[in-house]
Amino acid sequence: MMNLLYVDPGSGSYLVQMIIAAVLGVVFYFKSIWWSIKSFFTRSKTPDSTKDKVND
Amino acid sequence: MLVNPASYKDPAGFVFEQNGLIYRQVNKEYAPFYNQLMQSGLYSFLTQKQWLLPHEESDQAFNLSIDSFKVLSTPKLPFISYSYEWSFEMLRDAALLTLDINKAAIEHGMILKDATSFNVQFYKGKPVFIDTLSFETYDTSRPWVAYRQFCENFLFPLFLEYYLDTDINRILSAYIDGIPVNIAANCLPLRSRFNLGVWLHVYVQHSVTGNSKKESVLPFNKVKMQRMVEHLRQVVTSMKRQSPVSRWTNYYQGSILSDEYLSEKEKLFRLFISGIDYAQALDVGSNDGYFSNILSEDAAEVISIDADSPCINRLYLQSKMDKRLNILPMVVDISNPSPAVGFNNTERPSFLQRIKCDLVAALAIMHHLVFTRNINPKLLPELFRQLTRKWLIIEFVPTEDPKVQELLTQRKRFHSYDVLIFENDFSALFEIEKKAGIPGSMRTLYLMKKRD
Repeated sequence: MMNLLYVDPGSGSYLVQMIIAAVLGVVFYFKSIWWSIKSFFTRSKTPDSTKDKVND
Repeated sequence: MLVNPASYKDPAGFVFEQNGLIYRQVNKEYAPFYNQLMQSGLYSFLTQKQWLLPHEESDQAFNLSIDSFKVLSTPKLPFISYSYEWSFEMLRDAALLTLDINKAAIEHGMILKDATSFNVQFYKGKPVFIDTLSFETYDTSRPWVAYRQFCENFLFPLFLEYYLDTDINRILSAYIDGIPVNIAANCLPLRSRFNLGVWLHVYVQHSVTGNSKKESVLPFNKVKMQRMVEHLRQVVTSMKRQSPVSRWTNYYQGSILSDEYLSEKEKLFRLFISGIDYAQALDVGSNDGYFSNILSEDAAEVISIDADSPCINRLYLQSKMDKRLNILPMVVDISNPSPAVGFNNTERPSFLQRIKCDLVAALAIMHHLVFTRNINPKLLPELFRQLTRKWLIIEFVPTEDPKVQELLTQRKRFHSYDVLIFENDFSALFEIEKKAGIPGSMRTLYLMKKRD
């Protein structure tokens, strides 16, 4: 770990933050897809249930 | 004038004490950032929220150095504590405060350049940020400069305490700059890797650290930064430690000593404190803070110390909920208090160097020091003389006491210990003002006054 003594305290942490930002970006992307799927189904439920009622 | 030894690192300014007041010099170098802090609305936002300790610009001429831009006067906190004296929830709240302040700073065009736990103090059950000079202009193309410091000071200690289900105060006191990533990565259990937060901030960081030969700065942006700060907040918030049942949990409730003993002791205790004046009190071996609560009723500032972190954690949660209480709970073992650490061994003074109270309460602690820690009882009067300015309320627990008998079944008795020796030893440094046997037990409660 001796080499760390000559490394700026911020460095390395910049690289890791870029990786983190990238991973969080991917997580956020999939989450937003998931949310839109979820909201699609929750939205489509209402007309379905009214349709059922009409049929009854 | 006394320059705070912890201030030697920061080129932005330093803290000094004069006539019992605390001042902070802002150096010319820091002037643009100070002006931005005040003019951007960030300062008023943070002080309104009571997240940042407020200050006033002093017009007094101090003429300390040529690079002085301004001198700020700040309120003096009753007591300074360090992260290695905090319980899990205290460290967690301090971490959340740091993140919230950073988030607010980013919204106001600034960012925290320091994220050390020493910038947070506890006052009236709440964490407060004390370093006015920790803000700089936010460059949206750069990542967070204090990210690693935040990890080492807050995130890694919290991960370790959470996943190992233990307290690491002692280890924290050895690492003044926080727990290095290699220690965290090697100590955390395998199952922690399944957590995204641990995987990213510990393992990915560990594998990247030291490998960056060339600093390739790809542009960062505000959305990425806000997402990361929000993610850190979620990681910290999600760590909820179930209050562990320690050796000392239910000490009062489950004690073989009767309810009568406790209520009689409380009566005597109230009688003793009603006749004396004190503004600051120290409760040594406070446990859940039953007696700290009583001490705090008279608007006194109470510092409660116990070696048992779960007890201190519960007391912290209680003081956080009950705004009337003015209790600072700290994980400190009086038989081995926090040492002086840092540059010249003066940067962070020891617990004994920091503490001085008008009243010290040492209830049902003496026999633990003597029989569990093997401390010669002859050394105790000097310890309490150091801790108190004036008053001492101490409970003597005789050898015949069932609790002492319980202790003695497992260990040998080393020191001569009885009530006459106790009174004789303490009389050298204290005057015994009041003395009363506690009904329902063989114990005696003393009110003593320090000799001049």
